[in-house]
Order: sequence, then C-alpha cells, then structure tokens
Amino acid sequence: MRDFSYFRAASTEEASRAMLDAGAMLLAGGTTLLDLAKCGVSEPDTLVDITHLAGLGDIAVDANGATIGALAKMGEVADHPGVKAAFPAVAQSLSLAASAQLRNMATIGGNLLQRTRCSYFREPGVFPACNKRNPGSGCSAIGGVTRNHAVLGTSRACIAVNPGDLAVALVAFDAYVEMGRRRVAIEDLYMLPGETPDWETVLKNGEIITGIGIPASVAAKNSTYLKVRDRQSYEFAAASAAVGIEFEADGKTVRDIRVALGGVATKPWRARAVEQSLIGTVLDVEAVEKASRLSMEGAVSHGGNSYKIELAPRVVARAILTMGGLA
Amino acid sequence: MTRTIHLSLDINGKRHELDVEPRVTLLDALRESLALTGTKKGCDQGQCGACTCHVDGKRVLSCLTLAAQVEGRQITTIEGIAAENGDLHPVQAAFIENDAFQCGYCTPGQIMSAVACIREGHAGSEEEIREYMSGNLCRCGAYNSIVAAVREAASAVTTGIEAKDKVEVA
Amino acid sequence: MTIMETRKHGDAADGMVGGRFSRLDGKLKTTGGATYALEQPVKNLVHAVLVQSTIAAGRVVAVDAAKAKAAPGVLSVFTPEDDLGLLVASDWFGNRPDNQPFHPLPREVSFNGQAIAAVVAETLEQATEAAKLVKVSYEETQSVTGLDDPDAGEGRLVDMLSVGWGDAEAAYAAADIKIEAEYRTPREYHVPIEPHGLTVKWEGDFLTVWEPSQWTHGMARTYAEWFDIPYENVRIVSPFIGGGFGSKAMGYTYSAVAAAAARKLGRPVKLAVTRPQTFTAYGGRAATRQTIRIGATKDGVLQAIVHRGASETSVFADFPEQTGAATPLLYAVPNLSTQHRLVPVNTVTPGALRAPGKNPSAFGLESAIEELSYAIGMDPLELRLRNYADHDYQSGKPWSTRQLREALTVGAEVFGWSRRSHEPRSMRDGRQLVGWGIGCGTFPVLKAASEALIRILGDGSVEVVSGAIDMGQGTYTILAQTAAEVLGVPAEQVDVKLGDSSLPGATVAGGSMLAGAITGAVHKAATAARDELIGLALNDSNSPFRDTGANTLVIADGRISVPRGEGPSLTLAELMSAIGRDRIETQRNTLPEGANGPEDHKRSWTTMANVQGPTAGDLSMHSWCAHFVEVKVDEDFGTVRVSRVVSAFDCGRIYNPKLAESQWRGGIIMGIGQALLEEGLIDERFGRVINNNMGDYLVPTNADIPHIQVISVGIPDNDASVLGGKGVGEVGIVGVAPAIANAVFHATGKRVRDLPITLEKLI
Repeated sequence: MRDFSYFRAASTEEASRAMLDAGAMLLAGGTTLLDLAKCGVSEPDTLVDITHLAGLGDIAVDANGATIGALAKMGEVADHPGVKAAFPAVAQSLSLAASAQLRNMATIGGNLLQRTRCSYFREPGVFPACNKRNPGSGCSAIGGVTRNHAVLGTSRACIAVNPGDLAVALVAFDAYVEMGRRRVAIEDLYMLPGETPDWETVLKNGEIITGIGIPASVAAKNSTYLKVRDRQSYEFAAASAAVGIEFEADGKTVRDIRVALGGVATKPWRARAVEQSLIGTVLDVEAVEKASRLSMEGAVSHGGNSYKIELAPRVVARAILTMGGLA
Repeated sequence: MTRTIHLSLDINGKRHELDVEPRVTLLDALRESLALTGTKKGCDQGQCGACTCHVDGKRVLSCLTLAAQVEGRQITTIEGIAAENGDLHPVQAAFIENDAFQCGYCTPGQIMSAVACIREGHAGSEEEIREYMSGNLCRCGAYNSIVAAVREAASAVTTGIEAKDKVEVA
Repeated sequence: MTIMETRKHGDAADGMVGGRFSRLDGKLKTTGGATYALEQPVKNLVHAVLVQSTIAAGRVVAVDAAKAKAAPGVLSVFTPEDDLGLLVASDWFGNRPDNQPFHPLPREVSFNGQAIAAVVAETLEQATEAAKLVKVSYEETQSVTGLDDPDAGEGRLVDMLSVGWGDAEAAYAAADIKIEAEYRTPREYHVPIEPHGLTVKWEGDFLTVWEPSQWTHGMARTYAEWFDIPYENVRIVSPFIGGGFGSKAMGYTYSAVAAAAARKLGRPVKLAVTRPQTFTAYGGRAATRQTIRIGATKDGVLQAIVHRGASETSVFADFPEQTGAATPLLYAVPNLSTQHRLVPVNTVTPGALRAPGKNPSAFGLESAIEELSYAIGMDPLELRLRNYADHDYQSGKPWSTRQLREALTVGAEVFGWSRRSHEPRSMRDGRQLVGWGIGCGTFPVLKAASEALIRILGDGSVEVVSGAIDMGQGTYTILAQTAAEVLGVPAEQVDVKLGDSSLPGATVAGGSMLAGAITGAVHKAATAARDELIGLALNDSNSPFRDTGANTLVIADGRISVPRGEGPSLTLAELMSAIGRDRIETQRNTLPEGANGPEDHKRSWTTMANVQGPTAGDLSMHSWCAHFVEVKVDEDFGTVRVSRVVSAFDCGRIYNPKLAESQWRGGIIMGIGQALLEEGLIDERFGRVINNNMGDYLVPTNADIPHIQVISVGIPDNDASVLGGKGVGEVGIVGVAPAIANAVFHATGKRVRDLPITLEKLI
C-alpha cells in the first residue's frame, strides 16, 4: 500500500470535511479499500477512519420497514431477527456473501460501494488499460478471459461485473440510501458504465452514506435470495437472484413481484420485464421460465461469460418457483 | 522519511507499544513488529482466513485490518487462547485429538475461527459448521477432522467446561 | 484385509508402530508455537520484493529503477544489469553443466510473471511499494501460450516414456468394441497455504537459509553450487513447512535472488513471494491432453490400449507430466502402446504436484474404462474386476502386494454399489440428479536411502535426529513411534528433531518415499542403540545386570529387565546412571555396505540419482486405491456437489492410521478441487495466468467436502520397505477426478473430458 496518513474522525461532519481533501478516502470495514490499496488500484493520501463513530451502526425494524446504520456489519444484519423475518432475501444475501470473518468486518455502507472483481482492473501494473481506473485507456477485459464478466449493462468501455449480493436484494425491494439528509433510491445509486466506467455511483465529493432504509412490503417478507456459484461457499455469484412475491387473496394470483439479478450485470439489476409479465397471472412452470428469460433482454456475450445468459434466467425461474411453492 | 505513528495495542490482555507506518496491517504488525507469528499470512488479500484473529471477541481478518484501526480494541490471537497455566483451549485440544490439521499453517486461523464460530452459535450441525468455517481454507484437506473437532469442542463448551473463553468476551 | 477401527490415542493394537497416536507437533501447531521459515527471529533484517515480467516472451531492454531507488527505505534494486556471480546448480539427479553462469534475474523473458527485478528495503511496506515503481521496458517477441496455440505444434516425442507390448494398433483395429476419446487437464497449482519465501543470512562464507523445504539436503546442495561454496557451508533450516505438495523441494530463482542480495548488502534478507506471484514463481501441474483408444471383446475383455499424450513445458526446460504413467499398470491388457510428447510454451517450467503423471494419466484411463463400460453395457465395477491384472504386464514381474481387488470389492460393499442402476440419469434425489462413479489409482513405491541418529539420554529419554522433514505427513510422529517400538519406551518419551540439513541425511519428501526410507533408517539406528545399551547393561562393571548370567535383556514400557522377569528391572534412566553414561548415540544409514563412503552419502542425500523405481528388483511394487464417489447435480444450474466418498487403499502396513487417513482425505479433497474447480485461466493475448489468487483460483472450502470414508485394505509389504509400508501421500488424489467425471456422466448422461467440470459444461 502506498504510504498514507491516518485520521480517525470524531464525527460524521468531521469525516465529511476531511473527505473534501483530494486523495482522502473513507475507511470503514476496509475489506475492499485495503485490498485494492494493496493491488495498487486505490492510492489514498489520507484514510479517514469512521469505524469508531457512534450511532451509525444501529439496526431497527418496525412495521414500516428497516433502517440500518451505514456502519452496521454485514454479519450483524444477516443475523438480525427482525431483518430475517421481514426481509429474508436481504438477510440471505448477506449470509451467503464472503466469509464469516469478512462479514464481521465489512459495513453495510461499504458493502454497497464494493468494487468489481475484474482481474484486469485488479492488476494495474500488468494491465494499464482500464477505463475504470484510468479513463480513456481502454478495456483489457474485452477480448480476454471473461468468464466472470457482465452480460448486462456493459459498454464498449467496460464489462466489469458488480459483485454485490446485498445490493441486489435491496434493489428488488426499493431500498434507499441516505447520505445525511439526502436520500437516493438504491437503484439510482449505481450508474451504468457507458463511456465513463470510472464514475460508479451518484455520490458527490465528501458525501458519506449514513444509512439505508428498506420499506416493508409483503413481497419483501415473502422473499428469497438464490446464489449459484462454482464453490459451495466463499465465492462471488456466477448468477444470483433476489425474488419476492405477494399473492392476491386467492393465494395464487401474483399481485406484486420483485426480481433482481446479481453476478451478471454492471450494476445490481432489477428485472422489471420479468415482474411485469407475471403480475396478475397465476404462476406455472412454463410461464415462469418464459418470463424469466426476459431478464436477459439486451444481454451481450463476451465469450467466456455466455453461459450466464443461459444460467441467469434459470436462477430467476427457480427463485420465483420456490416462492410460488412450485419448486 | 515515511511517517510513523505510535500505537498502543491491547493484545491477549497485554499492552504492546509500537511505532509503525499507518499503512501497516494488524497482521504485519503482529508478525513483523511484535514477534507474534502464530497469526499466519496465507494470501494477504482476504481470501484464505489464515490470518484470522479476534477484535473485541469477533473473528476478523488481520490482513485487511490496519493496526491503527484497532487501537483501543481488544485483540486476541492464537497465542492468547490457552489458559494461563498452559492448559489448551478445548478447541485446541479437539484439533489435536481429531487430527484437524497436517501442515499446521492454516491451523491458528482455523482455531480462532472455530472459537468464534462456537461462540456465535453457528456450530449447531455439521452442515452449519462447514458453512461457517468456509472462510478458512485448508489445502491439506483436514476439513472432515475440523468439523469433528468443532463439534466436539462445541459440546465441551456448552457443557460448561470452558471458562477462559468467557472471560475473553467480557 | 483389515478395516481400521477408530481407536483413541495410545491404544495401539498393531503395536507402537501402527497406533493412532496424535501428532507429536500438535501442541506447537495449535498454539502458534510452530515457527515457519518467514517467522524466524533474525536481527537486522531487510525485506526483498520481486518484480515479475508482464510479457510472455521477449527481452528486457531497460529497467528504470530510479524512482524505486529514491523511495523511502530502499537499499537496493537488483535487475538484469547486475551480475550476481552465480553458477548453474545441478538438477534433481545431480547433473550439472560446468561453470555455466546463472542469472536468476534474466534479460531474456520466457514467460509472463518471470522474476525480472527485486527491490530491497528496510521494511516490507517500503519494499512492496517501491517494487511497483520499477519500470521495465521490453522488446516483445511472439509467444506460444498453451497447448492450443496454433504455433505450439504437436511437440517432441519423449522416447524414454514410450511403453508398449504386443501389437496395440492391430489388436485395436480388430477389436469388437472400440472407444476413442481425448481427455484434457488444465494448469493446476499447489496453493499451499504458506506462500513460498525465505530468510537468508550470511556469516562470512557460511549461509543459513530458513526456507520451507521438502528436502533440506538437496536444497543445501543447490545453494552451495549457486554460490560455489562448500556444501558444508550451507545450512537449510525447515522444521515446519506450511504445505508443499511437491512445490517446496528445490530452490527457485527468487531463492537465489534473496541469497545473492543478502551477500551483496551484508544483511539478512527476507523475501516473501506474494500470493499472486506464487502462480509463476514456480511451476504447477502442466496442462495435458491425451487420446485413448481401447479395444475390447463384447464381454468386456480388454484387447488393446493405444495412448497418445502430451503435456506443456517451458521453452527452456523439460518437465514431462507423464500422461501415460498409470496407463500400463491398472489392467490386464495383452497389447498396449503409450507415447508422450512435450510441447514447449511460454510458461514457467511446470513442476511436481501431488502424484505427477499418475494423476492426469488416471483421469484419462479411468474415464475411458467407464466409457467402455457404457459401450458394452457392463457395470464398471465388473469391467474392472474382469480385467484385473494378476501381474505387472509392463515389466513382466509379479506384484509385491496388490490389494486392488480388495479395494474394489470392499469399497463397493461399504459404498453400496450393488444398489446402483447402470443407466445414466436413472437416479435422483428430489430435483437433483444423482450419479455414482469409480476411479482407481496407483502410485509407485520409490526407494531411497536415508540416515538417522538415535540418542538415549541420561534421563532415559530418546532423541531421533534427522534432516528429513515433516510438511504435515506426520514424520515427527511416526519416527517417535518407530524409535519407541524398537527401544521399548513410550512414544511420549521420544523427541524428534527434523528439518535441518546439518542433521543426518535423508531423501526428499516427495514421490511418497520419505516415510519408507526414514523409518528404515530410524529402525536400524534404534536397533543399534538398543543393542549397545543391552551390551553395556550386560557387560559394564557397574551394571546390576552384569552378574545375572543373562545373555540378553528385554526393554519394554521404558524398563530394562531380564527375560521372564527374574532379577533386576531398571528404568532406562536408572541403568544409564548405574553405568555412568549421559548418552548413547548411534547413527546408521540404509546404504549398502561397500557403497557407504562420503561421496555415496552426498549423492544419496542431495540427489535423486540413487532412487530406485518400483521394478528395480524382482517385483513390481505400488500403492493402490479405489474411489467410490456420489455426486448430486443440479441440472438447471450445472452445479456438481460431491455428496459421498468411500475410498479403499492398499498402502501396505499403515504406521499411524490416524495420520494416514488424514493424508488420504487430503489427496481426495485435492482431487475434488481438481475435478470441479481448479484451472489456471490463461489470457492468450498475454500468456498470463489471470486468476492468480485464492479468490479466483478456487480450491475447495469446508462446505464443498462431505464426510469421506477411507478404508485400509493393505497388508504389510516387506519388499517395499523395512516396516512394510508403501507410499501414502500421493496415491489418494489419483483416480478421484475420473471417479467424479464418471459419476457426473452417470448422473447426467454428459461426459466431460476436460477438467474442471464447471457449470457451463453441464448447462
């Protein structure tokens, strides 16, 4: 890691002020930042440590929903009885992510900002071309080993996948992030790479995520997070799906359905076309499989990742059928 | 010259003073500055679990933790879990009895993870142990024996044999 | 045949050797007290960090180290400009070119990830950051990135690996049933959890190297030759090794760089290879491909095997991953032909990874045998038993011991094989397809000489001293058991000192040969010590036994006494005190008389030139195993999970079942990784391993591994070793990958012939 100075912030305001300095970066759980600093991707001059701030780690769940402080640890949220009861997909997305140790370190705010695992992004000394690191330098991944790259939301400039699990569940259930008084829907937090893949979120300079909120819904309560990967544990998703369903009083007809995908797109991916095609219908296997394929509208293969176009709809379908009692 | 800062770290109930650069990880501080080499470096990237130790009783990866970050926290390493009189922690004893290691390099991390896994209440079944011990890779392939050791130690702990561990949490 | 019952510590029904003792080094390893190479407290240390090439082939034109040199704490930057003054050392077999200079930081680049420079600084952090500032300019040339590169060609036939008898082509052509298929394995890596590295210190012309070593004496020779200093001036210290699997049996270029830097700077140097660097700092298992044709009768009697294989190697050295290594051994076949080719590509020279050759070879053959079983419609277990080899067809010699039939039948019974339905896709567990498969494995008995020292001390305790090593196989423990058995003392009374080239010589911990070799030496030295002690007890004027009239004495449970209990009985400490001795020392080796001089010692301890192959004598000696595997496949997702494994082994007599079972399971788990997860992904544009870390090169986690039942069906093989054991460490991985591939076929009807079996190959 490049030499940096360490500053332990006494308050959110102090941290915000410190962050206005060029070269300052926030240190929360550190699991992404220190990793990337070792890779030479992140080169902070100052680390502003906010892990000792009080009051940013609370988790509260009531009839309206959940509010979770940005410094709550992934593991705490995963194990929180209220979250597990009202937002099973959220809890599962966390407990299926990383390892127990990393979940004890990584914060919710930091997790939402975790960066891509693209191998080319992570080796700046070997692959100088990376538009995410170095705008305009090109993309080393295109034409390379792309097994873990995105098929949705890609551009000529970048095909790096967003590795998140939690964000996928949050996108499905219309969660929002709070930066002090500013509130942004999770879905709007992330930006597609387009021609500027270095610009990943709508956070402004000095803005600090202070918490997230998840509105309660029947669909969120009746939800699941399904993650498919090569290894049984401790691995990012090859494809994942967060699904929640609310049925009409008849118990069969879909009143509300939420579908989001992970491991396949450049940002956490809400599959509204799938949702639209199933609302008002009675679920059956064929219809669900057909609808799930809509999640891949606009998908582009880059060679090694073409399997994701086949795999992801199957993951979506299984998750929907599971929640519909059909799997 | 690079900047160094003075840190006072609480490790295994003892105070350790050191002057290091802010970028020094807890792992490197333990191994290179404090001669506490029981905590192992396997990947230095958060991908293997060999560097697992406890901060305020919770298992974390010391390779992705700055030493500066944990000033004021209680740090516990593999050197700090046996009783003062040298009696092994039940997890250590169970690892030996069940042959839960070969080369021994991932072992301190496995044991620190196992102690926490039991304390967290994630050692209820073999399946649960497997999942909650999956952050600790073992290339010698001692997984069956690790699961057996964690099960054995978990029952020893729940029947109240273990006392030292509770002190650590408090 | 015995199925080992689980017994608790110390209950050694098979004697002291054969007991389920817990590891002697267990307490050190569970308390953080075991000190590995990079943890040695050496004063005044500086840190070296490597800079590796970023092109696959070409030439270093310039190294701009100005920024790095100016960085805080930096002491020196070594580049191809620096002549480190080294000489090429000999290979494993002792062959060495005369006075050829060795440039561990070369100007010519032969692979992506080759060490080009090294930065030395006061702290690890300073060296790490300064290394990023070194700018290397290259003149790039065309590279060959792998077996599939159109420029790679067919490779060079390795004549000495061609094996054949009968007329395989003709018999194949005439056979009723024919199958033919190509099988492939990718680059695979050792990934020991302890990354490689070393600490080196010079004192004048004397060099101490703390480095994880599977072979302290062999590596000491390498350093001595690099630096042109006497062998005796080098000391390799390696009491604990954090996993080797074949990768820690030699000094590598970075080892030479660290030692040369230490000499130039006059300070001890620590060089830690980073995890990503380990993927090219030394070689893993080479990628292979092999075509197998099998001809058989309609009722499943093999007529011919024609095998053509190839493996990649580097452009500057040969390391054949012998795809035909197991092919001639497993079955009775009247006509056989195997050939192996080497294909040079721009990679680090591949190396030995657990069961080199045998492993990919068995993947091909054992997959092909099950393909044949489906072509014929015969149960694959029955097919294997029908073609059971009653002798070694390759050498024509009888087997020493071969309990493979027992492994197959006992394994099948414990697994419940008779409940299998043969048709693919015919077994299910809910949504998941279930498949069962078999894979057999073999590994040769290699024999080498070794030496050991036994000390009986005044307090009655015993020391075993050898330069042999323990990387987790259990050398410490089985040597304590061996000495304890011979000397009649409890194993707890024995201390074992290992892992130091200044101690008595031992062969490499590789080829599964160390245990057989070193237990033989310890047995011999301990027997001599016992004889000397009894002789002193009978003859020393102060011994209470002198006047008993006994002509021999017995030692048991730590006491020495007259047979049948008449007369005195003393503890060893009491006897040593009575005869006024503070120690009895015996050093013995297993070299033959007449070839036991200093040159013989050096050749035997520091090279593999004297290692004997499995058919060096009148017999053919091998370990054997049969794996029975159940997989569950989610067909929608293509994910395969191994849900059950039963493996039966013939490794002769087992010195410590508790530890042997751990090694077997370890091999099987590495085989599961090989089958389902492990693959070095090469970006062909750059010839670079892209997944050079443990998050992307996947090895199995705890959650990937079911309970694995291992069974010993071996019987003592006294031709294989003094104590009757055969090799344990490597055979366990052999046959696992084909068992899984076969099970996946049984589950899904899809035959995957290129490892690993990842989900995209099944959806």
